[in-house]
Amino acid sequence: MLVHVPGPWSPLLGRLALSEIPYKNLILAPLFVLIVLVGLALVGWITKRGLWGYLWREWFTTVDHKKLGIMYIFLGLVMLFRGFIDGLMIRTQQMLAVGPGDNGIKAMGAIHGYLTPFHFGQIYSAHGLIMILLAATPLLVGLMNIIVPLQIGARDMAFPYLNALGFWITAAGAALIMISLFVGDFSHNGWFGYAPIFEMSYSPGVGVDYWIWTLELIALGTTLGSINFLATVVKMRAPGMTWGRLPVFTWSAVSANIIALTSFPCLQVALALVGADRYLGTHFFTAGFGGNLMLYTNLFWLWGHPEVYFVILPAFGMLGEIIPTFSEKPLFGYVAMVLATFAIAGVSWIVWLHHFFTMGMGPYVSTEFSVATMLVGIPTGVKVFNWAFTMYRGRISYTAAMHWALGALFLLLIGGLTGMMLSIPAINYMVHNSVFVVAHFHMMLLCIVYAVFGAVIYWWPKVFGFRLNEAWGKIMFWLFSAGTALVFIPMFMLGFMGETRRLDWPFDPHWAGLFDVQEFGIAIYVLSVVSFVVLLFVSIRDRAKERVGADAWGTSRSLEWLTDSPVPFYNFAMVPEINARDEVAWRREHGFLDIRPDHYKAIHMPNNTPVALYIGATLFLLGFALTWRIWWLSGIALLATVALMIWRSAKGDPGYVISAEEIARLDREARQKMPVDGGDTVPVGGFAGGQIMAYSREVSDQDRSHRGPKSW
Amino acid sequence: MSHGHVNPIDHPEVQMASRRGYMTGFILASVLMALATFLVSSHALPPFALLLAIMACAGFAVIAQVYFLLHIDISEHNIWNTVALVAFIPLFVITIGLTWWMFSQLYLRTMPMIPGMPGMH
Amino acid sequence: MSSSETVVDPDKVRLWSEDYEGHDVISTRTFGFWMYVLSDAMLFATLFAAYGVLSYPHSYYTGPTPAQFVAPWYTFVQTMALFLSVLVYGWAMASLKDGNKSGVINGLLGALVLGILFLALDIHDVMRLVAAGITPEVSGGLSAFYCLTQVHAAHIFAGLIWIIVMLWQVARKGFTEDVVGRLISLRMFWQFQAVMWVFIYVFVYLWGYMS
Ligand code: HEM
Ligand SMILES: [Cu+2]
Repeated sequence: MLVHVPGPWSPLLGRLALSEIPYKNLILAPLFVLIVLVGLALVGWITKRGLWGYLWREWFTTVDHKKLGIMYIFLGLVMLFRGFIDGLMIRTQQMLAVGPGDNGIKAMGAIHGYLTPFHFGQIYSAHGLIMILLAATPLLVGLMNIIVPLQIGARDMAFPYLNALGFWITAAGAALIMISLFVGDFSHNGWFGYAPIFEMSYSPGVGVDYWIWTLELIALGTTLGSINFLATVVKMRAPGMTWGRLPVFTWSAVSANIIALTSFPCLQVALALVGADRYLGTHFFTAGFGGNLMLYTNLFWLWGHPEVYFVILPAFGMLGEIIPTFSEKPLFGYVAMVLATFAIAGVSWIVWLHHFFTMGMGPYVSTEFSVATMLVGIPTGVKVFNWAFTMYRGRISYTAAMHWALGALFLLLIGGLTGMMLSIPAINYMVHNSVFVVAHFHMMLLCIVYAVFGAVIYWWPKVFGFRLNEAWGKIMFWLFSAGTALVFIPMFMLGFMGETRRLDWPFDPHWAGLFDVQEFGIAIYVLSVVSFVVLLFVSIRDRAKERVGADAWGTSRSLEWLTDSPVPFYNFAMVPEINARDEVAWRREHGFLDIRPDHYKAIHMPNNTPVALYIGATLFLLGFALTWRIWWLSGIALLATVALMIWRSAKGDPGYVISAEEIARLDREARQKMPVDGGDTVPVGGFAGGQIMAYSREVSDQDRSHRGPKSW
Repeated sequence: MSHGHVNPIDHPEVQMASRRGYMTGFILASVLMALATFLVSSHALPPFALLLAIMACAGFAVIAQVYFLLHIDISEHNIWNTVALVAFIPLFVITIGLTWWMFSQLYLRTMPMIPGMPGMH
Repeated sequence: MSSSETVVDPDKVRLWSEDYEGHDVISTRTFGFWMYVLSDAMLFATLFAAYGVLSYPHSYYTGPTPAQFVAPWYTFVQTMALFLSVLVYGWAMASLKDGNKSGVINGLLGALVLGILFLALDIHDVMRLVAAGITPEVSGGLSAFYCLTQVHAAHIFAGLIWIIVMLWQVARKGFTEDVVGRLISLRMFWQFQAVMWVFIYVFVYLWGYMS
């Protein structure tokens, strides 16, 4: 059954050997030293400050959806940085290696540029996988995690423990791909893998195995998360939160998670079958023995295309929250917006073949998939127009968040239009696998990144209680946008000039100038990364000045702005009753925004648990052991995982109860800490402040006698 | 979250279990499978009709199981399960159907045709 | 939906839900589990798609095709074992209705035994094929055949472990909210395996035997 591996193997260590650690590599060895030093410094710092207990209690074992969301976002940002460094290395290689005369830096063993082809292949494979699955996905899942329960008035997600499990499994996937840097190597077959190159006979190393198990772990974690989101929204909406009142971001989370739930199994199957070929010697995707290589491509994109909509729909949802807030108008065409979201989700299921039009299945099939792909443009167009009409005659304040949202719209336009071009088979045959495609999907993915940055700025005060620095947010935006333009406009041009993707040696000297421009763009991106760090630093330093109340922007509309900022761990002291579609806007209009509940009820909360973290750890071990074919360790890790699950299930979690008096006290304290709304913290730009004043009315004495402690 | 005081056995999803229903589902599915097995092993019908017949058996058996065993109906407590299933079924059909279709077209164009090749179109 | 025109009486409006009892824990859980079941169904759908592509004559390369090795009536016995196991599990759930603990335990035990029978028959069948040199390494077609049938068997195996766990939990803890919720989820899981088996039996075994 088991496939015989080329090279040494021992029962104890599997394929692992000292020689697998690239200590001679001029890039990896210093990097390793650097990471170890930084890691040690961090550990030392935490120990010195005595923070381990705090980290363990408040973060590692938490089941609180907000903290898990923050950890998801942190993971996403770290991986975004790693992916960015990969991108930088790819660009630098292409800039250096251009032209037939290039001889490469011999000291680094390179034939062209400074990277060996094998190393270059690993970098672009890791770049793609990380950016889509370990940067974009966790960032979006993290934001959904924080915001969705708040928007529907829930205390937490439906399954808090499952939520933690999803996070730690995703983190295990991230750890696995990170360790592949220093132990063995990573796949060099691109992020989506090429059949049959990933078969054992062509890729005998462990790289492909790392790739398989990383993807499997992330797929598992994301599937668990999507179950949780759907159950939460279906079963845990506060009274009065009818489907017709659901905020658009929550709607987009619903549609995205339906996509995730249905499409990630396809990825799991595709990768498991690759695994079967490599471990058990089956012939699913081999060239010969009745296998079919294109079947792999089919199964992969069966997940792959829905996945791209899994990542863009939440981004659309974020735009749907940011734009109305800073236009001071309700979202234009709510119903059309929701329907368009689901139309996109539906159509995303019948277009996957556009990723391999060139397979050769003939005109009938191509036509269907081409037309279906173009259909996506209709609901997408509806959305764009709805956003535009939301802004039309609104009082737009050009805040940093709004900058990012508008930038996202612009990128969506370019990405969508180039996508339309690609969906025409005749054009696709010309540009398929050229960097034109790469530029297309980077426009789309950057649209997501823009929306995420906008959303982080927008929801930051909700989570941390203070706003980020506006000026630095805008500086970062402009730097980032300059980088985007300088890298990707030349990339579109190079695509038309015939540059195929993934070239470690771009031989045509005419491309040299454009590569230099791209490298320059990357340098600007580096500046924007720096400005992001400055943004965080400055904002945290000045947090006292930017302290905000519940309704941080003064013009926000949906339910999450009703509860205090930062959100208390129980979310809402009393579950709100929903009266309108934009509940907070409605309460503001009628002057109810400052009214607090006048009595409270006991709250039942789940306990923290380290089991999710342990299971993440055992699954990481499982992935690592399988990669290196250490069978005994795989067995132990698997058994440990199952045992932990059974143990957790036997133990159960009775949770704990916070009494009504305690809630009353906490709520009073939170209220006292809050700056007064309508004071100097509200207006951000334009007429924001004036507008609210027009809406709100003084709370009369009569109201006072009817509700609320006299704390305002 | 404060359902601790209610006896979980009184929950409608417990109370909807039904010996009669489960028995009916079992009998229907078993009879249909026996029929399909008989048809196939005795080659009672020409191939294409046989195919249609066993597909019908499978279809009815699955419907019986989904209705009688899994309680997929439009009662208040099951409606969401039903909605979810109805939303997902098209995706199953698409996944399998479009894949088979595109590869049958591909094989038409790239594989040497073996006479009498049984189609999986 | 602009409500600025409508006059709202601040004394009548309800801002906080006084009588909200929280969500229904059991149905949230079973709904979540149903979501999982559907995603599992998608996993099988993908495997079926792969099987369809890999069950052309050329997919079997020079090796045997299912027509040469499937024994319909043998597999029918397997089918009955599984269906009966599911039925007996259903009886356990019916006993749960009146809080009949021994009824539940007996039902679970019966489901367990019949499930083991199913798995034993499956393993026996696989051993017969392997002894005849019909293994997944022979051809893409056989890989797909084994994959679909044995992934199902793996689900059965997982279900058996789960049944054992539930036996223990029912005996130890009685019918707590957690246990009852899990019993319902397990019912769906187990019944779903029977549904998938119908597809596998008809489209892999019987159809394979036919063509
Ligand atoms: C209007 C909507 C869109 C259309 C019409 C469209 C069309 C296409 C087409 C036809 C291709 C295949 C090009 C080729 O390989 O020859 C493609 C590739 C791609 N698209 Fe899109 N697309 C759209 C939206 C999106 C979105 C929203 C995303 C992601 C968020 C996205 C991400 C990608 C990716 C990642 C690839 C290529 C992946 C790879 O080959 O590595 N696209 N798109
Ligand atoms: Cu696509």
